[in-house]
Parts: sequence; C-alpha cells; structure tokens
Amino acid sequence: MRHLSPAAEGSSGLARRMRIPFTQREAPFGYMLVLPAVLYLTAFIAYPFAMSIWLSLSDAQAGAQKWKFVGISNYSKVDSYDLLVNDFVLFDGKPEEAKAFAAAKHQATLATLPDGQRFKGAIVVNGQTIPLVSADNEGDASYIANTILNDLDWQVRGGKVVAHAGDSPLAFGNFDSAGAAKKAEKQNLLVKADTQLKANGTGVAQDPNFGLAVRNTLKYTFGTELVKLFFGIPCALLLYRKFRGRQLLRGLLVIPWVIPIAISGQAWLWILDSTYSVINWMLVHAGILSPQNILNFRGNPDLAMLSLVVINVWRGFPFTTVVILAGLTSIPDEIIERARLDGANALQRFVHVMAPMVRPILMVSLLFSVVFSFTDFNTIWIITRGGPYDQTQVLSTYAYQVGVNAGYLGKGAAISLFLFPIMAATVFGMLQFLRKENM
Amino acid sequence: MADVVLDKVVKRFGETEVVAGIELTVRDREFCILVGPSGCGKTTTLRMIAGLEQVTAGDIRIGGQSVTHTAPRDRDIAMVFQSYALYPHMTVRKNLSFALELRGLPKKEIQRRIDEVAGIIGLTPLLDRKPRQLSGGQRQRVAVGAALCRRSGVLLFDEPLSNLDAKLRVHMRTELKRLHQQVESTMVYVTHDQIEAMTMGDRIVIMNLGRIIQVGTAMEVYDKPATRFVAGFIGTPPMNFFDGSVTPQGVMLPGDLSMPLQRPHLAGMSGRKVVLGVRPEHIYLRQNGTKNTSRVPATIDVVEPLGHRTILTARSPAGLLQLEAEAMPGLKPGDQVDLWFDLGRAHLFDQADECVI
Repeated sequence: MRHLSPAAEGSSGLARRMRIPFTQREAPFGYMLVLPAVLYLTAFIAYPFAMSIWLSLSDAQAGAQKWKFVGISNYSKVDSYDLLVNDFVLFDGKPEEAKAFAAAKHQATLATLPDGQRFKGAIVVNGQTIPLVSADNEGDASYIANTILNDLDWQVRGGKVVAHAGDSPLAFGNFDSAGAAKKAEKQNLLVKADTQLKANGTGVAQDPNFGLAVRNTLKYTFGTELVKLFFGIPCALLLYRKFRGRQLLRGLLVIPWVIPIAISGQAWLWILDSTYSVINWMLVHAGILSPQNILNFRGNPDLAMLSLVVINVWRGFPFTTVVILAGLTSIPDEIIERARLDGANALQRFVHVMAPMVRPILMVSLLFSVVFSFTDFNTIWIITRGGPYDQTQVLSTYAYQVGVNAGYLGKGAAISLFLFPIMAATVFGMLQFLRKENM
Repeated sequence: MADVVLDKVVKRFGETEVVAGIELTVRDREFCILVGPSGCGKTTTLRMIAGLEQVTAGDIRIGGQSVTHTAPRDRDIAMVFQSYALYPHMTVRKNLSFALELRGLPKKEIQRRIDEVAGIIGLTPLLDRKPRQLSGGQRQRVAVGAALCRRSGVLLFDEPLSNLDAKLRVHMRTELKRLHQQVESTMVYVTHDQIEAMTMGDRIVIMNLGRIIQVGTAMEVYDKPATRFVAGFIGTPPMNFFDGSVTPQGVMLPGDLSMPLQRPHLAGMSGRKVVLGVRPEHIYLRQNGTKNTSRVPATIDVVEPLGHRTILTARSPAGLLQLEAEAMPGLKPGDQVDLWFDLGRAHLFDQADECVI
C-alpha cells in the first residue's frame, strides 16, 4: 500500500520520522539497553586486551615510571648465537676396527700441532694422531681435546666411534650471526660432528622455559581431555542406568568439580607431601617401595607434571560425566527401544545410536573443558608453583612468573598473548565441527 | 503364518495391575486395532507383544511359537512408534537400512527392499535427507517405511497418527489401510481415537481398565455394544444414556416418560434399574414413519451446524441429550420441539454391572 511515487514517499516518510520526539524513538532506547553490556565489555575485556598487546610491545617493568615502544623484541630478540656440539665422530670404518679404536681409549694421549698461526688439538690413539679442533692458542686447543678424550662418553655405533656430549653439549659461543657460527664450525671442527645452532636472547622465542611451558600446557590440556573422556563415558553410562541411590551418586560425583581448588589443593598437597604422602605410606606398607626410595611427587619434574595431570582429571571428569549423562538422558526412550527392535545389541546401540546423538553436546563439554584446562592457573600455582625449577610451568603460570614476580611486564604480556591464537584456533575448529553436526 | 496369541497375559507394575489377564487371538494378516481410553493397558499390551515390557504372567505366541521370553529383535516384529523414533543423525536411507544391516543382509537385497518400500510410500525423493529436514507427515512415512523394510510377520503401531494435524491424519489413515492391503503382515494398531479404530481395523478390540471389553468388527461394536462403556466410547457424538426402570409396559424414564420397549426378555424384570441408550442419529425431529418410536418433549439448548449435518443439544424431562439432524433444521435455542426416540434401535444396559440386557 506504500507504492507511492518516490518523491511522495520520501517526503511523507521523512516528515513522519521528524515528528517523533527523541525520547519516544525506539532505536536510541535499544542502544541504551545494550549500553551497560558495551561498557562492561569495553572496561573488562577490550581495554585489558588492548593494554596487554601494548605492554607486550613495550619495555614496561614493574615500578618503572616510563615505558617505551620496543617493537617485537619481547617476542623475539637474538643477542648472539652459540654453536652446540653434541657428538664428535672420532673414527669411521669397519665395526671391528671401531671396537678396537674405542678399546684403546685409556691408552690415548693428547697432542697439539701447529696450524699456521693457530693450533690443532688432537688425540693419539694406537700411534695414530687424530686432529679434532683448531684454536687460536695452544691452551684452548689442548683443553678441548682433553675434554673430548676424558669427559665425553665414547660410543661405538656400527663402524663409528662417537664422543657423545649428551645432555650438556660443548658450546662455542657468542657469534654475532648464524653465518659467523657456520663459518667458525667449518674452520674449527676438524672432524665430523653433530652440531646445532642456539640463539641467545631475551625474547620469548629464545627462552627455553617458554617452549617448555607451551609443551606443558598442551600436555596438561589435551593429555587430560582424553583421560577425562575415558573415565567420563563409562561413568555416565553407569549413572544412566536406573538404580537406587542414583540421584545421591550424581550429587556426590560433582564434588571435585564444585569444591574450590584452593581447598581441595590443600588436600592434594598433603597427599603429595614429600614426607607425609599417604600414597608413599601405602606403597611402603604394601612392600612395593622401600622407605629410602619414596616418591618425591613435587620434587621430580615428571612426577610433578603427572600429579598435575591427575589432579586436573580428578577435577574435570565429573563435569564431562554430567554433560554426557545429560546428553544420554535427552535421547528419547523410543529411539533406544527402536534400536532394540532393530536388532542392535548394547554395544551397537551405544556406537550407532547413542554416541552419535550425544556427540554435539560432548563437543560442547570438550570445548569448555579445553578452555578450562588451557587457561588453568590455580591448580598449578597451588600444587607446584611451576616447580621444581620451572619444569611444570604452563603458559599462564609462566606469564605470571615473568610478568609479575620477576617484574618484566612486557615479556609477561607477550607470553600470555600466546594463549590467544592457540585458544582461538581451537575454539574456532570446534565450533565449525558443531555447526557441521547440526546441519 | 504370523498370528499373535495372547494367553491370559498379565502385567503388573509393582502393585498396580495394568493388564489383567487378557486373551486375544490376532489372525494372520489381520488389521487388529486395540482401542480404549488412556490408561486402559492397550499400549502396555502392544509393548509386551514387542518385547519391550516383560510379561508378569501368561504367554504370548507369534506364529505358534512362544515368544514370552524371547528378545525383541528375535520376535519377527517391527514397530512404528508414536514419536516416530527416527535416528536423527542418519539419513532416511540409513534409517530404513539400519535394521537390515544389523541383520547382515546383503547390500543388494537391502537396496532392493529400500527401493521397493520407498516406491510404495513415496519416499524416493527424500532418501538422502535427514529427519529434521522432513515435515511431520514425511517423518511418519519414514517410520512406517523403516518398519515395512523389515518384512516382519507382525507390524505394531503405537498411536502413529496422534502427532499429525487433523487433515494429515485422515489422509494417513487411508494410506495405512491401503498399505495393509498391499503388504502381507499382521498388523496390531493401538489408538485412543475411536474414529481411527472404526475406519481402519478389520477387527476392533476395545479395552478398559486392563481388560478386553469387546472384540468385533466396526459394525458389530457399533450396533451391538456389549457394555455401556463400549456404547459410550464408540460413536460421535456419543450415545445418550438415560437412567430408568423396567415396567410391564417397557421402560420408565425420569419425567414420567414411558418408553414402550418391546423386548421379550424384559418380562418379569419389572422394577429393575436400567440405562436406556439411544444414539444421536436415532433421535428424530419427525416421526417420519419409523415403527416403534416414542415421543419426548424437549427444549433446544445448543445448535452446532457441521455443514452436512447439525448437532442439536436439547433438554428433556429425562435429561440432557444430543441428536443429529439434517443440515438446516430451522431451529434456534429455546425452541420447544417433540423428539422421537427410535426404540427399535435403542440399547438397554443394567445399571449395576453396565452389561447389555
């Protein structure tokens, strides 16, 4: 009915709109309704997020009056390169000869040979002189040769004899560039060697603890999710059956989830205590461990990480169970009955009917659980504080350690921002999957 | 042969007896309808035939074999559920083939059966859709199709049309009846809707309070109801009932209305408390030549035109009653009329045990 001429419609429409007083217009009222939410999101999400991006690009330190822009150096800043040598190949020939060569190690002697203006450090084995490295002075050359001969472990690998440096490689240090390090390697190493280049610097990417924190975060998050499902699915199936006291059991089940970790953490600290651990007590009394060899849960890096994973599973699996249970109860009885009539046994009913119908809700629970574990700070901070010697740091605790405890706000912000892209990608992937499921 | 025999079947949930020892034989290839008000035990009976409920006592036989303790999947039955029970994550094709795959049928045979069934009930264009992309009627078809694919001896239906709108329900009623003529299965169909029961079934089993009240064809239960319950349950609008007592002249209704009911076996029953039942279509506005009618004065209360007929509600000295008149009776509320009860087609029940006399 509004098919008037364009001019007529325009003018009448405009005239009508002009007459409505501001206080009675609907659009401004709508904006006013969402204003509190916008203010909240700005103040508590947008502002802190923008601030941490700015901090991560600055040299901010706790207590410092002024910050300045330093680009990406919090993320990556290389000061120098070290050349790390893991293995020196001393001999390459037939297996029997290699064995004889290694056996003669205790009779081997050191030697230094002139090398123009420089000196070669060498060892003499069975009367055969093997030059190993070249150095500026005789002392250095001799020192390195001595280290290779006396400190390193000689291993026979097929026809090769290798001086193995293992976990503490020999370092040739402080080159300005990767090229200089490569050049020095060619010039100074006279035998074949297994080398790697290490960048020294103050950026996050150069920090070995950061890599460890990333690996720990992934372990802590994705390692536990599978275990949570492993326990959660059978538990949910058990609670899905009708029996006396089912409601009570459902209630009891969620206790680990609802108790604040600050409280249950204290119980876990006692359970994992180095002296009074109830686990050690049981193992000793069962005769499995001798009192001298009791487990130091929070002192051993692997045990500490394992303990954190166990605690996360303990806390998280009730949630997984409850969500799966909710999914199972939402399946209409008639569908299960039809599956029975169709000839599906219990396993087939679960695999072909129940599991696919629970999957969307399971993905939602997984999403929550992943976000929960990924950003978890409390559990790690209460149980290990990232220790022993930073071996159980995850991204959140390490960001706190560096940014707040050590005071390097910029670097701390850079570490914490690493959470964002990984988390965003995970969430995006899961939501895509959910959307596909619901098509 | 896939006849279904229920032999003194009892079902108790705790103290409550839901099915109280029913005996029924559903013949091979028969379309048998279990009908009754909610809570009468009809669905429980069907679920016991399916094996979804344990039988408390008694025996169920399908094709001569006792299946009382047989698992549902080994009973040679398929079932269509009230909510259709389609697997929401499977396509229509997969919904149809699921049971066949579980039974290890060869792929070719499955394909052949799906094509055949899809052709019969018009599912072919829908085969690759998911249930949520279908309308209510289409889902209903898929549910029926999935049951048909099984080619089982017995097909069970649990109120399959109750979730459809009125128009679609009428349509599907006809389709299901035609389907029964095409397939060679025995069908047991549960409904609370007496129109479905009347129109679809070869035989109707009327149940109440866990017992079978009457078994018969549609016309048998309509014309010769065994009890007042059956008489009131079958037929719309329902039969009119009037309390009265037997006199030597017939039956005396309240308001001193004497009904000269000529039934030989009434002699000697004088004074017995009875209920006179007259169907709405057996109350006339004119005497129109029918023998053995009796005049009852009444006041029109409500006029409900249906188009082809008109339902009138009227007050008479014997009580409120409903009758069916022709399309345009020319009456309005408040009009005084003389009604004629067709006593030749009236029913008489005992007031105490409600059985037909």
